[in-house]
Amino acid sequence: MSDQAIRSTRFRAEREADWKRLEEIVTRTEKSGVRVLNFDDARDLAVLYRQATNSLSVAREISLDKSLLDYLEALCCRAYLSVYAPQQTLGGLLKRLFVYGIPQAMRRSAIPLLISFLAMTLGAVTGYLLFFEDNTWYNTFMPGSMAGGRGITSSREDLLEVIYSGGNEAWDNLAAFASYLFSHNTRIAIFAFALGVFVCLPSFALVLYNGLILGVFVALHVDRGIGWDIFGWLSIHGVTELSAIVIATAGGFKLGLAVLFPGNLRRRDALRGAGRDAVKLAVLAAVMLLAAGLLEGFGRQMVQDMNTRLAIGWGIGLGWLVWILFSGRGQDRSALDAP
Amino acid sequence: MSEATKIDAEKARKSRQSRERRMIRDFLPPEGVPLNFEIAGLGMRLAAQLTDLLLTSLFVIALLMVLSAMDALSWNSFGILFSLLFFFIRAPYYIVTELIWNGQTLGKRICNLRVVSADGRSLQPYAITVRNLMKEIEIFYPGTMMLTAAYLSPFEYIVMLVWIGILLAVPLTNKKRQRMGDMIANTYVIHQPQAILLPDLSTRTAAETRERFTFLAHQLDHYGAYELQTLEKVLHVKTEGFGKDVAERHQTNMLAISDKIRAKIDYTDKVETREVAEFLEAFYVAQRRYLESRKLFGDAREDKFHKEDEPEPLA
Repeated sequence: MSDQAIRSTRFRAEREADWKRLEEIVTRTEKSGVRVLNFDDARDLAVLYRQATNSLSVAREISLDKSLLDYLEALCCRAYLSVYAPQQTLGGLLKRLFVYGIPQAMRRSAIPLLISFLAMTLGAVTGYLLFFEDNTWYNTFMPGSMAGGRGITSSREDLLEVIYSGGNEAWDNLAAFASYLFSHNTRIAIFAFALGVFVCLPSFALVLYNGLILGVFVALHVDRGIGWDIFGWLSIHGVTELSAIVIATAGGFKLGLAVLFPGNLRRRDALRGAGRDAVKLAVLAAVMLLAAGLLEGFGRQMVQDMNTRLAIGWGIGLGWLVWILFSGRGQDRSALDAP
Repeated sequence: MSEATKIDAEKARKSRQSRERRMIRDFLPPEGVPLNFEIAGLGMRLAAQLTDLLLTSLFVIALLMVLSAMDALSWNSFGILFSLLFFFIRAPYYIVTELIWNGQTLGKRICNLRVVSADGRSLQPYAITVRNLMKEIEIFYPGTMMLTAAYLSPFEYIVMLVWIGILLAVPLTNKKRQRMGDMIANTYVIHQPQAILLPDLSTRTAAETRERFTFLAHQLDHYGAYELQTLEKVLHVKTEGFGKDVAERHQTNMLAISDKIRAKIDYTDKVETREVAEFLEAFYVAQRRYLESRKLFGDAREDKFHKEDEPEPLA
């Protein structure tokens, strides 16, 4: 009677064994990854997947057997997910990100970085000059929570005491570190990055404002004749931290510039393209903020000598620079299909 | 055909479409055969999200318990430390789990959800990073701000409310339930399909049993694919192990269906009550064979209103 069977029934009978085998391989892959497959299974997975999609395409045309169609749809979807799964290891991904991805993205972003750096410098210089014109500008720019009790009425001794006050309670340091992380600078970095997409303006304003704060703060100490001391106090974490803000802002600028000047692309596509580098800058900024937090929480309290502070701060800054400039210069052979 | 049947046909098809589960229809893998994934519902996604939140916060709490057992914590730093650790565990958690399990966090694994790349290629690490970093800005940052609402100025409060309103509106208003991070990363969240192969009904009963019932071509002209597949669903029902009344109810249903079919197609021969199942299976096979061969000739019949679809004969 088999020659009288419906065409779609014969179609199914001929292929069912292959589908079952594919299903078995896929189930195993879903549980423990493609690594557990031996050579035959791995080869069959690819071949059977293509056969199954072929069957699906035919079945959609010739068969009205709902149970068969549902099964094939589901099987092909699951096989697709097993076949097109990312094959890189986590370690390999991280290595590629830090050796190639981030430094190359940084070197590609020279213009946004420059704009962002200039904006902060402009803010700092303006703040500095304004302070010496009229020192009440200090109160205008400096948010109360950041000043830590240091104001235009503070004496030289008060300021010096804050600079060289070393708490040795480790967990107090940790708490200081924690509160720092959620404080002003991290927030500025996040917003400068995220708001950059609105044609750069909010990011520009934020980083300029951050520069102003820096400017008046330094000016206050210079006015009291302890310029070098505050330079050391700021340097130990500030080199890293301010760079992080500049980099996060540059990431935001990258997005904003894509919106402003999309070139031959649609704005949406330009934004997607710029996003790849921007995200790498954001990751770098996050790493640097974390490092700055550690330096501020522990390093600044433990190291009280000004010269050591200077050396640590600028030494680490130099380290970042060397990494960005020289890492990933060669051919990245591990990333022929890199994103 | 009358206007009334036309309106009926449209109504029936519309209501069927709205009952259908939401599918992604334009997903094209490199093989060139479109795959239809089912879009994950927002309820399920919320459940997965809550599971993940629960897992990560439990981990953080356990960590803090260990720290406080070591007597290293003062109570006033507890809150700050919690939010800090929560952030540093949460952010990598999503990225790393989705990288390792190809688009599934533990919560998504439990809820059978998965992230796929909308371009039909494999999910890129970049896309995973972006959609999860956006989650920080989209959900967790405003969430934390709302928790500390007491410290916010009215202006900030309103800005946060508007922000959260926009964020909720985005996935609710777009068809594929993408949130903002999904749009930027070009990803969908889908329901992981389950593949279950039911037996082919056309081979279940012996051909001899079926041949007692014969159908003529004009008798098979009434129904389309939708009715055929509904009948298939009924015939797949298994009543063993569900108690006597379930079996009885199923039997009554089958009887009602066979009566309806017989009336519609003018099947005059007698069908005994005990052979209703055989009759329906025989009808199913005959109808499927007929519809499939019509389909091969370019006459695909969607449902019983298929006559409406035919072009008007030229006068």
